[in-house]
Amino acid sequence: MQDVAVLEFETVVRPGASPWRRFLRSLLRRKIAVIALAYILLFYGAGAFAPLIAPYDPNAQNLSIESRLQAPSREHLLGTDALGRDILSRVIFAARTTLLFTVAVLITGGLLLGLGLGLLAGYRGGWVDTLIMRVGEVLAGIPTLFLMIAIAAAFRTRIDDAAYWLKQHTFLGQDAKAFLDFVIIVGVTVPFAWVGSARIVRSQALAIREMEYVLAAEAMGASVWRILTRHILPGVLPLFLVGVSSGMAAIAGVEVSLSFLGLGVDPPTASFGTLIGDGAGVRTFQAYPHLLLSAAIPVVLFFFAWNLLGDALVDILEPRMQVR
Amino acid sequence: MPPGLSAYLIRRLLWTIPVLLAISFIVFTILRLAPGDPVDTLLGQRYTEETAARLRAKYGYDQPLLVQYGKYLWNLMQGDLGVSTRHADFTVSEVIWPKIKVSSQLGAMALVLTFAIGIPLGVYAALARGTPLDPLTIGFWLAIDAVPVFVAIPILQWLLAVKLGWVRLAWDGVWSPNIILPVLIMSLPGVAGVARFTRASVISVMSEDYVRTARAKGLPERLVVWRHIARNAMLPLITVIGLSLPGIAGGALFVELYFGIPGIAREALDAVLAPDFDVVLALVLFGSLLFVLANIVVDVSYAIIDPRVRVQAQRG
Repeated sequence: MQDVAVLEFETVVRPGASPWRRFLRSLLRRKIAVIALAYILLFYGAGAFAPLIAPYDPNAQNLSIESRLQAPSREHLLGTDALGRDILSRVIFAARTTLLFTVAVLITGGLLLGLGLGLLAGYRGGWVDTLIMRVGEVLAGIPTLFLMIAIAAAFRTRIDDAAYWLKQHTFLGQDAKAFLDFVIIVGVTVPFAWVGSARIVRSQALAIREMEYVLAAEAMGASVWRILTRHILPGVLPLFLVGVSSGMAAIAGVEVSLSFLGLGVDPPTASFGTLIGDGAGVRTFQAYPHLLLSAAIPVVLFFFAWNLLGDALVDILEPRMQVR
Repeated sequence: MPPGLSAYLIRRLLWTIPVLLAISFIVFTILRLAPGDPVDTLLGQRYTEETAARLRAKYGYDQPLLVQYGKYLWNLMQGDLGVSTRHADFTVSEVIWPKIKVSSQLGAMALVLTFAIGIPLGVYAALARGTPLDPLTIGFWLAIDAVPVFVAIPILQWLLAVKLGWVRLAWDGVWSPNIILPVLIMSLPGVAGVARFTRASVISVMSEDYVRTARAKGLPERLVVWRHIARNAMLPLITVIGLSLPGIAGGALFVELYFGIPGIAREALDAVLAPDFDVVLALVLFGSLLFVLANIVVDVSYAIIDPRVRVQAQRG
């Protein structure tokens, strides 16, 4: 997996080229990209409608000997785990965790910070640009995973009081601890997740800023907000999509890695990290291969689908990579 | 060294100082503000207010944050990284250097292997462009890239050690055949990136005039590919070295955990969880310094190789 912070593209704007329909058409012409997109939608759909789809309660334990650690069968399509829980149901609910996590990071780190700061840096220039890009450079230059582990570990130990307060005073109730765990992993990912897309957006915005139609809009007295949203944003969006989809596997991977290490989502909430953790280990894998494979295959395919989609988007939108 | 480059180099090196100061201050603050201080961990069951206070005074944890940070910096400048609380009374240097040695040897091997696999693959894919082999090669490595290290390790361990009996899993030091599997696993995630980059680079070189000239004067295709195309396409690859470092460091953590390798990534995880303040700080600073320096080396060597970059280097 690639590190979240290092994804970057330096791009040249092709004047006059941006129609969404041409982009969509060339995307849909690629079979692999369509299959990848379909799998991603299936995965997210399963996560979104998890309570309706899952055949069993993901947390229902059955500790009798014969119902624990079952290999896949007709009753349990992906088998059962050490506590007799249905793994398929847990995988579907793990997709829900992934869905929530990636959407939360996408909105905060991608749209708010990545797109927002990138536009600001590219359009405003000057010291604003320097400051934003320097901060990004610092964040991109440090061993991300370890810093995330450090921050997550530091905060996790101090949230018990906050969880208790939330449990008493809000609608969260029993879910308060899970909610805070979630806030922490999103919080440690976001500072590192915006740099790549901000760089792409900035370089695009820098080029578009010089276009005549932007000058014309400025001359007519359009507000900064209007220029940014109406004139610059449409030209920036396609490459922003490329950046986001290339980085998505890495972002989803952060939650899986942290949960695997016991620093992300706590059991019994299902996460691919903890599911894989249950089956990892060479002896466990030898005895019960379904524990690892049932959890790993769906999520590996998910990462792979994002990689393929990102690759297809780069091919379509990145002029330098195209056949000359 | 071309003119203007030394000034650029000096500017970049000076810039690392505020960067490292900022990182160290942020990490220092986070560590100190979080509860569960090392003294609690150290004492455990034997905790009494009196001993805790005595130990806090010994390690300086009872002083204001900024005073502690100032003292840390002052000691750092004299080469004193502090003491470990987890390994009772060992200095941080004694704890980390042997482990850094192990990890850096592993990391260097993995880095070399990444390029040794990735470059031929990329050249091959570029030459096969237009045939189904090109997307297949790259697609295969994108699939490998999607497998998290902690999924690949147990499967490969089972396959190669238990089922086939080709390797043993014990840790016998860096210079033993058992090292092959961990190094291979650390290098695999980076291969896709290197291969894709090589492919793009080779394709852009393939249409250059001097390649056409080489073909026109009747040079054998093998020579055209390796002497004229591959050599020129390798230049931009230097940048990828810098970009592959974080991935290798991340992979190192899981490899060290699974294979029982006494390396620095595992030490970092244990130190963070303990917590062992001075060890964590030293490792974060060491890691950041390494990454920042690697990026500078990449940028500078790139500027030396490609004259077009030099202009930007002088400006920026």
